[in-house]
Amino acid sequence: MVEENTSKEEEVIAKLDAFAELPDAPPKRRMKLTWVGKLSVAVVVFWLVIIAIGPSIAPFHEMEMEGDDSFLDAYSGEYGTFYLGTDYIGRDTFSRILFGARNTIGISLLATLLAYLMGITLGILAAVKGGWIDMGISRVNDAILALPTIMLGLIVIAAFGSSIPILIGTAAVIYATSVFRIARALGQDIMVQDFVEVAQARGEGVWWIIKSEVLPNAAMPLATDFGLRLVFVVLFISSLSFLGLGVQPPASDWGSMVRENLAGLTYGSYAAIWPAIAIASFTIAVNLIVDDISAKSGGSLAKKMV
Amino acid sequence: MKDDEIKKHELKYQDLDHVDKGIVEKSVKGGYSRRDILKLMVATGVTMAAAENMLYSGNVAIAATPKKGGSVRMANTIHGPDDQTDPMLFTSGADYGRGRAVYNGLVQHANDLSPQPELATSFEPNSDATEWTFKLRKGVEWHDGTKFTADDVVWSMNRHLGEDSTSVIKSVLATVKEWKKLGSHEVKAIMHSPNSDLPTLLGMFQNKVIKDGTTGDWIGTGPFTMESFEPGVKSVHKRNENYWREGANLDACVITAITDPVARVNALVAGDIQIMSNVDPKSFRQVESAEGVTLLSIPAASQLGICILKNTKPGENDDFVKGMQYIQDRERVVKRILKGKGSLGNDTPISASHGADWCSELAQREFDPDKAKFHFKKSGYSGADLFVAPVTAGIEDICLLAQANCAKIGFKLNLKKVPNDGYWGAVWMKEPLNVVSWNMRPTANSQLALQFGPGSSWNDTFWNNDRMGELLTLSLAEIDPAKRHAHFCEMQTLIHEGSGMVIPAFSNINDGIANNVMNMPTVPLGQCGAMEWPEFIWLA
Amino acid sequence: MMKQMVLQRIAIGFVTLMVVSVIVFVMTSWLPGDVASIILGQAATPETLAALRAQLGTDQPLIYQYFGWLSNMATGDLGISKAGGATISSLIESRIGNTMVMAGLVALISIPISISLGLWAAMHPGTWLDRLVTFCTLSLISVPEFFIATILVLILAVELHWLPSTAYLTGDESFLELLKAVAMPLITLVIVVSAQMIRMTRAGILNVMSSPYIEMAILKGVPRRRIILRHAFFNAIGPIVNVIALNLAYLVSGVVIVETIFAYPGMAKLMIDAVQTRDLPLVQATAMIFCAVYVVLIILADVASILSNPRLRQPK
Repeated sequence: MVEENTSKEEEVIAKLDAFAELPDAPPKRRMKLTWVGKLSVAVVVFWLVIIAIGPSIAPFHEMEMEGDDSFLDAYSGEYGTFYLGTDYIGRDTFSRILFGARNTIGISLLATLLAYLMGITLGILAAVKGGWIDMGISRVNDAILALPTIMLGLIVIAAFGSSIPILIGTAAVIYATSVFRIARALGQDIMVQDFVEVAQARGEGVWWIIKSEVLPNAAMPLATDFGLRLVFVVLFISSLSFLGLGVQPPASDWGSMVRENLAGLTYGSYAAIWPAIAIASFTIAVNLIVDDISAKSGGSLAKKMV
Repeated sequence: MKDDEIKKHELKYQDLDHVDKGIVEKSVKGGYSRRDILKLMVATGVTMAAAENMLYSGNVAIAATPKKGGSVRMANTIHGPDDQTDPMLFTSGADYGRGRAVYNGLVQHANDLSPQPELATSFEPNSDATEWTFKLRKGVEWHDGTKFTADDVVWSMNRHLGEDSTSVIKSVLATVKEWKKLGSHEVKAIMHSPNSDLPTLLGMFQNKVIKDGTTGDWIGTGPFTMESFEPGVKSVHKRNENYWREGANLDACVITAITDPVARVNALVAGDIQIMSNVDPKSFRQVESAEGVTLLSIPAASQLGICILKNTKPGENDDFVKGMQYIQDRERVVKRILKGKGSLGNDTPISASHGADWCSELAQREFDPDKAKFHFKKSGYSGADLFVAPVTAGIEDICLLAQANCAKIGFKLNLKKVPNDGYWGAVWMKEPLNVVSWNMRPTANSQLALQFGPGSSWNDTFWNNDRMGELLTLSLAEIDPAKRHAHFCEMQTLIHEGSGMVIPAFSNINDGIANNVMNMPTVPLGQCGAMEWPEFIWLA
Repeated sequence: MMKQMVLQRIAIGFVTLMVVSVIVFVMTSWLPGDVASIILGQAATPETLAALRAQLGTDQPLIYQYFGWLSNMATGDLGISKAGGATISSLIESRIGNTMVMAGLVALISIPISISLGLWAAMHPGTWLDRLVTFCTLSLISVPEFFIATILVLILAVELHWLPSTAYLTGDESFLELLKAVAMPLITLVIVVSAQMIRMTRAGILNVMSSPYIEMAILKGVPRRRIILRHAFFNAIGPIVNVIALNLAYLVSGVVIVETIFAYPGMAKLMIDAVQTRDLPLVQATAMIFCAVYVVLIILADVASILSNPRLRQPK
């Protein structure tokens, strides 16, 4: 960040830098990623491209059982076109991963974004308004949070069928509860800070306080949580497949692909491993990007201290 | 081996000299896998069929000198807080196994499905089968030491009858009017209408004899007592030393369940359990290639079916049904989905396992996308919704295959996947297209009457055919084998041509056992020899 | 002051319990089929269904059943499982111990690991070792539990025969035998839970590091050690305790996949079974227990947070 070498100057600039990140200063948007961060962005972009073009470049359709046998090795088949082998009923693993990106990434991203939208709105509303509104929202939120996610998913999906909108909606509501807790706690934390008290004393309205004081200060902690929340949604969808629910066949979803091909592990089939790698590559990349961004704010300070 | 003296395909265990017998016995006892032995035999010039036969006879011969002692842990597919104590409500493999260990029936099924006396010593119908008289075994004691009498039988059997009975098999026994005590060890069943199949029906899992005035409560007359019972966890059983028959060979057994199919197989291979029900086709290779365990595959008429309701759209259109039947790639289902452990279905519930009643002359319906396309086009439908639950291994994959093949001829078959729980109440016999699994019933007549009898509670395609009803009655009374076969053939043809049933394949019953488990029964009416194992197996 | 706060939280917790009971009740009523149709399954006929419903008392209106359940609860009677006829207290009794043993053992191993690794990673963000920890934890979190569990079984039980593949408990084993019996699910859960806790601890501390008072402290020129020990760690206790509380709650109620794969008779599987058999009283009883555990853990976490944040200690 700092090019000059004289230590005094560096100190001063570091202090100024830190000062620049103080709440009332205008947000600074200088995105400089490390090479890990850049690589992660490349991975995410890769998967986003696959979502767009995957189905058209896949050698087979996701439902086609072209393989002559289950759990075929990579590059087998008449023309060696099963690049990653076949799954338990002879479908091409490679094609199913390309098709599955759409469901796994699409559902989890949409559900997480929706969860954030709901959680932050309600959380900050509860923190700022307090009183009965806070009480009401918080109790329902606690009740949902207290119940196991897999049970909630099981009930909603068994009752209303597992269409993709239902999956997204269910995951969003379930994970909005944790976002709500974080947002509300942050909101409350910020509401007792001096600068907010000053603003309140100045006679600023609720919306002004949310917009100018609460949101900018809550943004970073919420962002660091985003990556993890996204992973949980992916896991939630795959744990539904464990109960025989989840994405409707023949649509492929990486989590269910792992599940349905587990039996192949014992005889050296990689059909369960490839989708697991796909899941890991996407979720790790997202989290590393989040890390890089958060390291820029909180991390840079922490680094200087230790 | 002296191949020159004996025709290869007739080679039987009995025909071997004592040295060869010794080899077979030793290899069976010694923990070689069935596959190893078969390989060895084939390598020495015995044909596959003869080798299979010999191995099986070998097992039986060793079974003649069983060893006492030891205990096994047996894992079923499901259990939970709904594990039942009342035989009348038994519905799962774990229930059936516990019932078999703790209780007895009046009648039990032999491997060849003939009804054998159990707590009854004999059973006789009157001339028109409207009354059946059962003589009961004397000197049998309940686990609490009291004597078994006709009162217990009358109590147990009458619980299945009547308006407010909650018995699972109430409809199956609807022809019985009541049970009466004739003497201290003699009872009579009085029928509403003639039923020559009554003894066979009494062999069903739910027809256990319990103590007068109780609902079971695990006090039985069976080969094992109940030591502890935790619903959804396990039950522990000890040998009943006071058993009226020779008695169980095992000292103890534990009946439990491992719901995850992959985990169940791993537990068997790792040696944590000795018997497991239901090996998933995905795991056949693992069990077959693992040391010390055997895949026991018993041919049976366990149906994997798609029900198309005939009383509503789109099933009321015959061409639609034909389209669905021609799009089934049956060869591939058996070869690839069931991995060869099954047989082709011909859209009737009767298979070669039903013996002489199977209509072998009925032409096999082939996979024919062109015909399917033609019929779908004629029906006017370009798509349909099929409700699928994983009711049995392979059924989902059959639907996936049908879907893929439909897509190729431009027909859109949407699969609606729903969970297993609630399936039988909410989807089966309600949604126009759904999946079904039926265990084999002991007689072709009871199988057909159950699924296709006009007005049967389980006529799950709602196909009502008057001729079918006539033939069901006629065949039950027919004693001439040729005429009887003709009746059965006509019924199967009617179903094949007219009903809404699609049966692409029958599955074998596939269980896994440790190699030291001997004398495993092979009754094809359910998993693990229709759960007849507790009394008869022994450990080598 | 603190006492009043805790009492208030307990009252709030009680309200949450009631909300849970209503939510669970309403949700289970959405499910297709009822307990009678599940028991009878494929064999159900209208007459048998009616007879069984009458016998189980499930033919009454739902709202009536709810208040019946509520009044029984008030007298401490958990009732009888509709699906199998066993008393609910006996069903729960045999499993709650198992769940507590597992949750306790996992917590005992994973909390120290997670906090130290998480703290360490948060203090060295962006370094190679931080990246490595991040990469490993994320890999372990992001692949489904059943994948990790199955791989562990294949290696440790099927190939090496070191450990049993399922957690079979006889009820009279010694502590060492118990440890061996539960080793496989224990290892799986330690891996899964530690990975999550490391990640969440790291994020929690980084958030504290970026908060204005730490920045202020740096600007004021407070020595580094003092910042970490007096300010950062002290202020991070709240978020860390929160993470631990949520993970403990998860260990009690959410480990259904691990319990299924290792056939470990715990509470989570009991609840899923109860839902799948539409056994309303049992669903309610397990939901109440999970909710109570959650409420208690959250109260403890809140107390810890408040103690560590002087600002929250003062009522406004």
